[in-house]
Amino acid sequence: MSEDLIIGIAGSGGDGVISAGESLLTAAALEGYHCVMTKSFGSQIRGGEASCRLRLATQPVLNPNGPLDVAVALNWDDFKRFGAELPVEAATIVIYESNTGVAADKLPLPGVKPAVVFSVPITAMAAEHAGTDKAKNIVIAGLIAGWFGIGRESVVAGIRKKFAKKGAEVVEGNVRAFQAGLDFATANPLPQDRKLSTPQSGGQAKLLTDGNDMCAAAAIFAGCTFFGGYPITPSTEIMQFLDREIWKYGGTVLQAEDEIAGIGAVVGASFAGKKAMTATSGPGMSLKTEILGLASLAELPLVCVNVQRGGPSTGMPTKAEQSDLFQAAFSAHGDCLRPVLAPTCVADIFEVTVEAFNLAEYYQTPVIVLSDQEIAQRKETVDPIDTSKFQIIERRHPSGPELTNYARFKLTESGISPISHPGMVGGNYLCAGIEHNEQGRPTASGEMHARMNEKRFNKFNPLKNRRDLFTVEGDSDAPIGMVSWGSVAGVAREALRLAQAEGLQVKLLVPRLLYPVAETVYQDFFASVQRGLFIEQSYQAQLYRIVRMNVDLPTQVKAFAKSGSNPILPSEVLKRLREMVVSIQGNQQHQPEAVQD
Amino acid sequence: MTTLDTSAKPFSLTKFVPGDFKSDLKPIWCPGCGDFGVVTAITRALANIARPPHEIAFVSGIGCSSRIPGYTTAYGFNTVHGRSLPIAQGIKLANPELLVLVASGDGDGFSIGGGHVAHAVRRNIDITYIVMDNQIYGLTKGQLSPTSSRGRKTVTSSFGSLEDPVNPLLYVMGYGASFVAQGTPADMNGLAKIIEEGIRFPGFAFINVQSPCVTYGMEDQQLKAHKTNMKSLEAMGHDASDRAKATELARAYGTELYTGVLYRNPNPPTTYGQGVTERQEAFKKSAVPRHEILNRFKPTN
Ligand SMILES: Cc1ncc(C[n+]2csc(CCOP(=O)(O)OP(=O)(O)O)c2C)c(N)n1
Ligand code: SF4
Ligand SMILES: [Mg+2]
Repeated sequence: MSEDLIIGIAGSGGDGVISAGESLLTAAALEGYHCVMTKSFGSQIRGGEASCRLRLATQPVLNPNGPLDVAVALNWDDFKRFGAELPVEAATIVIYESNTGVAADKLPLPGVKPAVVFSVPITAMAAEHAGTDKAKNIVIAGLIAGWFGIGRESVVAGIRKKFAKKGAEVVEGNVRAFQAGLDFATANPLPQDRKLSTPQSGGQAKLLTDGNDMCAAAAIFAGCTFFGGYPITPSTEIMQFLDREIWKYGGTVLQAEDEIAGIGAVVGASFAGKKAMTATSGPGMSLKTEILGLASLAELPLVCVNVQRGGPSTGMPTKAEQSDLFQAAFSAHGDCLRPVLAPTCVADIFEVTVEAFNLAEYYQTPVIVLSDQEIAQRKETVDPIDTSKFQIIERRHPSGPELTNYARFKLTESGISPISHPGMVGGNYLCAGIEHNEQGRPTASGEMHARMNEKRFNKFNPLKNRRDLFTVEGDSDAPIGMVSWGSVAGVAREALRLAQAEGLQVKLLVPRLLYPVAETVYQDFFASVQRGLFIEQSYQAQLYRIVRMNVDLPTQVKAFAKSGSNPILPSEVLKRLREMVVSIQGNQQHQPEAVQD
Repeated sequence: MTTLDTSAKPFSLTKFVPGDFKSDLKPIWCPGCGDFGVVTAITRALANIARPPHEIAFVSGIGCSSRIPGYTTAYGFNTVHGRSLPIAQGIKLANPELLVLVASGDGDGFSIGGGHVAHAVRRNIDITYIVMDNQIYGLTKGQLSPTSSRGRKTVTSSFGSLEDPVNPLLYVMGYGASFVAQGTPADMNGLAKIIEEGIRFPGFAFINVQSPCVTYGMEDQQLKAHKTNMKSLEAMGHDASDRAKATELARAYGTELYTGVLYRNPNPPTTYGQGVTERQEAFKKSAVPRHEILNRFKPTN
């Protein structure tokens, strides 16, 4: 039996690799398994090579990476192009298309000799049973269903639905192709039973979506009625989802002429009193910088999602990286502070996006959500979310008395001043990018500038005490501490699970609020720590450096960082944790005995 | 301290005077600057339009000209250099009830913000775009502008400009603008009138104002010269519904100073906002409650 299976499938664009993965994914979600699927493509717009990785498990999947348990190759050239994304080991079960003409003992995988290999006439089976080799994906689903015990009923139900319009003959042909896959698996059993055990949640169906769609849905839930943006990989699906939905809620999507205009329209909509959002990635984020500063000075709420990809410049548009944190925190001229949040998985994007709107409206500020390509585009099962537990915050409008001699930027104790919008009688003011006094009038007074800066910074003080924006997992007084954020937090969580299984005393801090740095949270976390590790997907380990700027960390806190597109594996992290244990023990042995007095 | 609001006036008043739209903020402009005339013309037009100040959003970029919103009692938004149009469009789409005005300069509108003009025109969102074209960068003290003539000597073109100017009138005509007009504070009545017409026009309206910079401007671009040179299109008997003729007249930008409405589309096309409202109405029925939006993600095979 299996508790956790990683399946990688690769072929050329027309092979139906992705649709095979998707039908298995849907089946698994319906049957209550936890599942994550990532897709990867060659650089051609159409055709070219395509692959997907599915991780199916009986307990929550924290991270999609790891060596394959099962590899399916429709042809070896395409499979090999994915290199480290589809790592095959001796223990990997290999299934490949017989018409490749490759002998089972001569697989083109240098240095690995998988023990279990099946050469399957996938194309021939599709042609024989469904009358078309387009049904290859169905045969693959049948093979996986047969060997690993998922999707028997739901894949067939899916076939019946999907092909219903094409007539009974097509439906039955595809059902036969699926059955042929099952039969092949029955006739050629694995040396060991590897069927997935029943899921821990007892088979309750889950939600299934990717991070971008989840982000867009969260925006609608939070009350967003305006989106302005410009297409850019890997963020565009947010705009696409909203374009299908937002009109129903009296909202608008504006595909602007560029990212500057996109965030410009968003600032305008916010000035007009609406909850508004933009989403982009790397280069687009660079263009938005000036207007983000305007929103900070004019204290206008907005949410700006940056789905990070490899950079700088065009960088690696389809690969995740965590290298835009410095930009999110610091890319502004002048003294400026804006909150930066990061989600850790698809489910978390819902909470983080709603939180971003709440912070934006409450603090009257732009808020940056740092998503990344991986969670944005991977499809993942999500346990049903109880939306009634979320509070939705609206900006504070001036009340009647506050509108007599209304002062838009009134220096209040909290630093938050009631905000009016056009249409509100008596709330008229001059909103501007130029420094202003309490009434919004332009000023060149150094004293006023200092007071307004103080207001704009101090209003965020309560934010640093939001401990609910951080999770501490593992042994609370462990001597070893990890910090990780965004999609990589899943890797660290899995490493924590492995370390705990070995009896190591380790803990993990996952911040969802990255900036401003909540100093006391880090101080408390590191109080017990002798060896620490920030695990990040960037060359510079940007969170590590930002925290170091703000907090005195123990000297033995280091960073484990890799540039984007180089998966960080839980096993690598575990190895480092073990080394840290050894180093602490070594230190204790060499320490001179404490002086008694 | 006084404020910009006009709550002293009861809003049940249906009659307004220009003074209702003038704030008590003192302009920073040089004495004699053409922009004084422009703000006066705007407040006169607004008094005739008779929408209360709180229903008006007045957006601008950065420049001497872009200071204008602060000198009115409307909800002003003095944004960043070159981006007034996208911001104004966001405002209008977010609240179609508002009257949205945009003020800009030749640099703000046709250099740094030039890329946005084409899109504002073709989108046809119902806003009024007033450019104070003084053929110079005023605020930054006299550099070459995109409408400065070839050969013009400025502090950044000490030996004369090597490039041809943009023709703002032809530019917007080229992208299919439905309302195009030009005025000068040398003719205050005419200027107030075209601004009012532009505001009343259902769709994107462009008004180029030859607004003299007394400090850095050329002599032939001052009010005195305008007074002798300007040619009223109305007096010329120009038919403003004639697009081809309007385009021809637009070509004379830089050589002739035509004032009045060059082009007014006799069949104003649907605005972007109308399309938005129709779509919102049509789709309203199919909305699931916001808190049920996640049901979208229930898997179905
Ligand atoms: C991004 C940016 N670049 C440059 C400037 C400096 N700047 C402010 S106004 C201006 C030009 C103003 O000229 P124009 O738009 O013609 O307005 P005028 O002052 O003549 O009315 C420049 C270059 C700025 N504020 N922002
Ligand atoms: S510099 Fe020119 S445009 Fe600016 S205020 Fe003075 S006269 Fe007017
Ligand atoms: Mg100018």
